[in-house]
Amino acid sequence: MTPDIAQTSRQIVMGWHFWIATILFLGAYALIVSEKIHKTIVAICGAAVMIVTGILAQDEAFHSLELGVDWNVVFLLISMMVIINIMKPTGVFEYIAIRSAKAAKGEPFKIMVIFSLVTAFLSAFLDNVTTVLLIAPVTLLICQALELDVVPYLITEALASNIGGTATLIGDPPNIMIASKAQLDFMAFIYNLTPVIIVVLAAYIISIKFIFGKRLAVREELKARVMAMHEKEAIKDPVLLKKSLIVLAITILGFVFHGMLHLQPATIALTGAGLLLLVSGIKDPHRVLADVEWATIFFFIGLFIIIGGVVKVGLIEWMSLEVLKITKGNLFGTSMVVMWFSAFASAFIDNIPYVATMNPLIIDMAKQLWPGLSGAQLLHHPDLMPIWWSLALGACLGGNGTAIGASANVIIVGMSEKMGSPISFKKFMLYGMPLMIESVLICTVYVWIRYYILNI
Amino acid sequence: MKAKNLMIPVKKCLTPDNTIKDAVNILQADRNGEEKRGSDVLPVLDQAGAIIGILSVHDILKAVHPFYLSMAETNLGNFTWDGMMESLAKQAGNKTIGAFMTKDVATVQEDDSLMECIDLMIKKNVHQLPVLEEGGKITGMIYGKDIFYNITAIMLNKETAEKP
Repeated sequence: MTPDIAQTSRQIVMGWHFWIATILFLGAYALIVSEKIHKTIVAICGAAVMIVTGILAQDEAFHSLELGVDWNVVFLLISMMVIINIMKPTGVFEYIAIRSAKAAKGEPFKIMVIFSLVTAFLSAFLDNVTTVLLIAPVTLLICQALELDVVPYLITEALASNIGGTATLIGDPPNIMIASKAQLDFMAFIYNLTPVIIVVLAAYIISIKFIFGKRLAVREELKARVMAMHEKEAIKDPVLLKKSLIVLAITILGFVFHGMLHLQPATIALTGAGLLLLVSGIKDPHRVLADVEWATIFFFIGLFIIIGGVVKVGLIEWMSLEVLKITKGNLFGTSMVVMWFSAFASAFIDNIPYVATMNPLIIDMAKQLWPGLSGAQLLHHPDLMPIWWSLALGACLGGNGTAIGASANVIIVGMSEKMGSPISFKKFMLYGMPLMIESVLICTVYVWIRYYILNI
Repeated sequence: MKAKNLMIPVKKCLTPDNTIKDAVNILQADRNGEEKRGSDVLPVLDQAGAIIGILSVHDILKAVHPFYLSMAETNLGNFTWDGMMESLAKQAGNKTIGAFMTKDVATVQEDDSLMECIDLMIKKNVHQLPVLEEGGKITGMIYGKDIFYNITAIMLNKETAEKP
């Protein structure tokens, strides 16, 4: 049944507010893509103009749930960054990485697999960039000890971090944003995304076996260098480590039960951050707080306000109507288009502004399709759910397509260059694009079978 | 006393395209000053002859030190192995110095006072300063150690003078 779309939509007034907001939105996108001006500065300036011109009232920008800053996303990100900033100096991540290399007994392909799995697992709970920044230095050290080419290891780690990050609500910013707007809880992501990510990861490991497996060889005597490393020496502060692990476990448990507890993920994360700050014995929280990536946080804040402006003037609603005209209310088709379009869009542009735009667009589309519904009934309409999952899978996994698709990729390209083995855009794409397409294909089959054939 | 009275004239300079090996050769062969000791640093000049950096022994250590060791918050240096420095030293010889030199260089003028030199050394945490003549061309290098010798002389003379 296709509802009569034309009747349900309000009249979009294309006045000067509409055009100013549209130009601001497109201009901000273009500037972010061009990288001429830092994206955070673009977002802050765009947000300021949106309010100064009266398109969005300050009250709406700061306090409106529909149009304003999504504080759920902001506080979740800040709190997780605080937790990780306290944990970093304990040395636990170096410990895990060196332990992994030793578990692989210095075998080069085994190391690649274990490092990929560890990176994917950590990325499911931590920010991808942080995970790569913690694991990659150890990877480089191990590669140098074994006299291995660093490029395959860095690429496989970046790709694994983007795959792992897709698995949970807190793994990747697009998921955090989708969860907040669509009011989906942590366990919903575990039920719907984690199973397919496990399959994607398994396929990924098999693929890298074919791509790199035969090329990697290590002289026997070099393995002794890795086996001689005492991973326990990495632990600098065992007391703080114990405290952090306990608080992290409590926080993750909190995420698991946040739906039942009727608490938002941001509240859980903030509680965890507060608790760890309290028990860590840190006298002055200045350093821990200063190390929060404020540029990223303000990018989100500015972006939310810009998107709020174009939602208010009706641009997003207009776009959703155009999408509905193309898909003619076919929701399976819509979810496939959303997944593949998101994947290729995220391969070339930042997936954060992309998802920030797609969220209200999908909500508007749902409003057109089911005009009588609102709140959770609308957002969690059984026919809408696969579209949210397709957006999450496409936007997160799409980042693997190119060297600029995800921040983790940008980081490893930079590291590789410093090591004297630069990875060109083309070279990254040669590995990343086919593996990205493989993962999205798996997700396509998954979404189709699970939501359109089995309906579970 | 002024900077020019204590400085050691500069004979050899580098350009950013020189390799670490070039620099090491000069540092080894170059003997400066009255005691003919080796220089610890070499000025790096651009094509116009203006100073754009300094290459110190510390910068040469940086050329051998892998960047990832300074990235991790904890001490990955615990996990290095015997022979690592040797193999990296071999590779570092052909790197150009532009990437390793200290670029933010504090300088003094020939007629600046020794106190100004000490002030800069303390604030910038360096052990030597290039001395420039009026046109901006480098003429010498003033070392903290030479100022220290000077201070020593003053202190000891004073003490011996006070004791009858």
